[in-house]
Amino acid sequence: MDFIKEKAPPVREDRLKACNAFGGSCCQLAEGARKGCLNGIKRTFAQTQGCQLNLSMAILNTLRNAVIIIHAPIGCGGGSTAMAGLTKNFQKLRDAKAPGLIWLNTNLDESDVIKGGESKLREAVLYADREFRPSAIIVANSCVPALIGDDLDGILAQLQAEVAAKIVPVHCEGFKTKIQASAYDAVYHGILRNLVDVREEYERVIPDELEELAENYRRSKTVNILNVSSMSRFDEDELTRLLRALELNARFMPCYAHPDDFETVTEAALNVSICATHDDYFVGHLQAQYGIPFVLRAIPIGIMNTNKWLRDIGKFFTIEDRVERLIEAETRELEKALAPYREALRGKRAFLAGGEIRVLANATALVELGLEVVGLKGYHYDGFGDDFLNDLDLSDEVLFNVATGQPFEQSNLLERLKPDIYVGHTGGNVWAAKQGFPVYPIFGQTVNYMGYNGVFELARRLTRLLKNPVFNRNLAANTRLPYFEDWYKQDPFSYIDDSPAQSNG
Amino acid sequence: MSKFVDRPRYTCALGGAIGTLINLPRVIPVLHAAAGCGGNIANALNGAAGYLGSGYCSGQALPSSNVYENEIVFGGEGRLTEQIANTLKVVDGDLYVVVTGCMVEMIGDDAKSVARKFAGNRAPVLAADTGGFKGNSFKGYDIVLELLFRELVIKNQSKDPKTVNLWGIVPIQDVFWKGNLEVLKTLLEKLGYRVNTFFGEGETLDNLKNAASAVFNIVVSDTAGVEPARVFEEEHGTPFITVPFPIGTYGTEQFLNAVGKALGIEEAFINRLIQEEKKHFYSYLERLADVYNDLDLQRYAVVVGDSNYAQALTRFLADDLGWLPELVVVTDLLTENEQERVTARFGNYLSPIRPKLVFDSDTSSVKKHLFNHWPINRNQRYYDGFNPAFVVGSAFERDLADSLGAPHLSVTYPISNRVVLDRAYAGYTGALRLAEDLFSTLVGSR
Repeated sequence: MDFIKEKAPPVREDRLKACNAFGGSCCQLAEGARKGCLNGIKRTFAQTQGCQLNLSMAILNTLRNAVIIIHAPIGCGGGSTAMAGLTKNFQKLRDAKAPGLIWLNTNLDESDVIKGGESKLREAVLYADREFRPSAIIVANSCVPALIGDDLDGILAQLQAEVAAKIVPVHCEGFKTKIQASAYDAVYHGILRNLVDVREEYERVIPDELEELAENYRRSKTVNILNVSSMSRFDEDELTRLLRALELNARFMPCYAHPDDFETVTEAALNVSICATHDDYFVGHLQAQYGIPFVLRAIPIGIMNTNKWLRDIGKFFTIEDRVERLIEAETRELEKALAPYREALRGKRAFLAGGEIRVLANATALVELGLEVVGLKGYHYDGFGDDFLNDLDLSDEVLFNVATGQPFEQSNLLERLKPDIYVGHTGGNVWAAKQGFPVYPIFGQTVNYMGYNGVFELARRLTRLLKNPVFNRNLAANTRLPYFEDWYKQDPFSYIDDSPAQSNG
Repeated sequence: MSKFVDRPRYTCALGGAIGTLINLPRVIPVLHAAAGCGGNIANALNGAAGYLGSGYCSGQALPSSNVYENEIVFGGEGRLTEQIANTLKVVDGDLYVVVTGCMVEMIGDDAKSVARKFAGNRAPVLAADTGGFKGNSFKGYDIVLELLFRELVIKNQSKDPKTVNLWGIVPIQDVFWKGNLEVLKTLLEKLGYRVNTFFGEGETLDNLKNAASAVFNIVVSDTAGVEPARVFEEEHGTPFITVPFPIGTYGTEQFLNAVGKALGIEEAFINRLIQEEKKHFYSYLERLADVYNDLDLQRYAVVVGDSNYAQALTRFLADDLGWLPELVVVTDLLTENEQERVTARFGNYLSPIRPKLVFDSDTSSVKKHLFNHWPINRNQRYYDGFNPAFVVGSAFERDLADSLGAPHLSVTYPISNRVVLDRAYAGYTGALRLAEDLFSTLVGSR
């Protein structure tokens, strides 16, 4: 993989043939993805979704001691208003003195649309440096300056000579891609080009072999775990606990990292992803550029997936025996702990919605707990899902909806499927709630979802949620969704138009 | 002219337009915009306005054409036509309003003419150009009201001398808008008027359609809704007044006197209402007489917020509570004319307080203004510090409050640290709620 010389990364429609509109069985999905004929499918009725810029903020906002500049009209990045308080608290879990989330918007107006917004950007960068003295100034480019042709990289290259902070341009213009997850590549691209650095190593004046050996040993036992903004500090603690049992030292990035942390990203033996959708661009480039190997395929959610994640790491370090002993001890203890919950959960029918990998991994975890998966919705789909689908081995009747948001399709599906529990993503949960279904949020930044403890938490929380589902039932009885009754009689995928994809194929 | 903003407390014109439309009964916004616009705005509206939530058809349910590169190159009108036609089939509403984002305006899509193709449909389809670069949320509110006053409100209606319209309290930007509208409506009803507030409790789209039967328009703001009031006057011949947003006995007295004068209500009648309301207000506020004086609960204060709240909060703190609002920061983006009008509302205090007023949209500036205003500690033996103090602002002001060691209450947008349902801070009853919330914060550790 080598896109690093380009100003901006390719979008995922092109790089991974990702799609965000599909409805059908899991078999058809896997088949379609293999043939590459899902790419280009569109909707003739659509509801809003996020864009690259929104999702880029999910990572960028977490960085400690950085100022974000949204180069855009005043509304872009507005979602951060809801996140400022929370982000500071989460940053403080990593550094008590973290300044919290600071962002500027360049406030492009009608005259900037004609004359260009370069002077405002310049002013904002200088202000950010002077006012906050951050380690990094991250400039997120939006649709408007991209269309009027502001030379973002040119201006920022000039400004770099005038400010102390490292400037990081991020090309996350919303209109360029339907696949929100392209944001991850946009962010990593900016980090790779501007923050990742191999520090020059000086020869020691007084040679110290012991110290050098110690340093090399440390690096040989250090892994970078690439965290996602939707995980919690508790998740990190759980993964750290497991790696410590293998005498490995875990470092977490990019989320909640200090911008300077990326300077030492190469001082590790292995990059460990917990979500391929999130990290393939980053780990691919770190391998190509710096020769650091990676493991990518597993996400430590559910028993089998956590085992797989550990085994991949164990294989790299050739400590397979130790990993097997750890897995054996962990799963034995977990099974005992799960026993009291299995009765309450057995045979419960679940619908899952959220990010591609997260949905599939959680589906596996639910099956492990004895639940039945009756339908899935992934925000997008690409080849990274194939292994998970294989592992799940769902029957042909189970429908898979690929939809970024699009709650109208989901509401129709839920009306038909009537699951016992809905496992879903922020923004989509409310609609299932108003249909009366108990909701288990598929991610949360204050709860443990990962590793073996995460499985116990899942079992414990599902059981609790099913104990008293009346809040949502009352909502269903007293509110209504905005669709005509007739909509529920239509095929849920009526507004997915695959003719463009067929003609391409 | 304009500059960057450090942590803006508003979204764009499109965001303001969506925030306005989703709070009208059974009105469905149809976004003609890039895919992320609605998602981003929904996050700002839902999570930063006291957990407003996704409502009837907001959040991820917002219909949107989601244009991408292809439409930006070849034009998006075809996609919009398809989107409107299918929205009418799937989404149940009484009025559909197309609102546009930056990109489709920059490529010259004509949303209005596309919307006109749907004339004669079972429900009207209107369109407004609300590209984000046109301004902030307040601008979006104005654009939508102007559109509705021109194209939805029925013309040539006979005037009903006992009906008035009231607006200027911007949904979401005033997180307590619904409760506030209810309070002001109830007050005017006590004067014998029917009041259309469009966004308040029990309102229907018919109230809006028949708004031209009102004899007078009351704009409870010096900035928001003023242009639409001019449009209303032009289209329907209805005069208007602008009155400051009232909190507390002195603010509300001014409000009632101004409205009374404009409507030609007998002064004695107004005074009787004022006396009754004050009596009710003090029957409760009286309870604080002990604790206020036992614990010395007078506070210095910093007030940060939009122009409506800044003047109302300052007056309430100074003239009702006897506090000392030393610094007031108005965070709106205003023209010089608007700044003058807003400044005029900061005079004529009952108390001897003369707060320092600044217009500054940057969040990190508040602290600088305070340090400029209040002598800093030079390590002298005796220092008259800025304490005991209280910060009344948005959730953004928590950092300032922490650094001052002062308690803090989020009253202005954004509010992410409180849940707001039907709470109101306007008028007399709202002032009681505000007193409860302020003093509850002060006794919270007991």
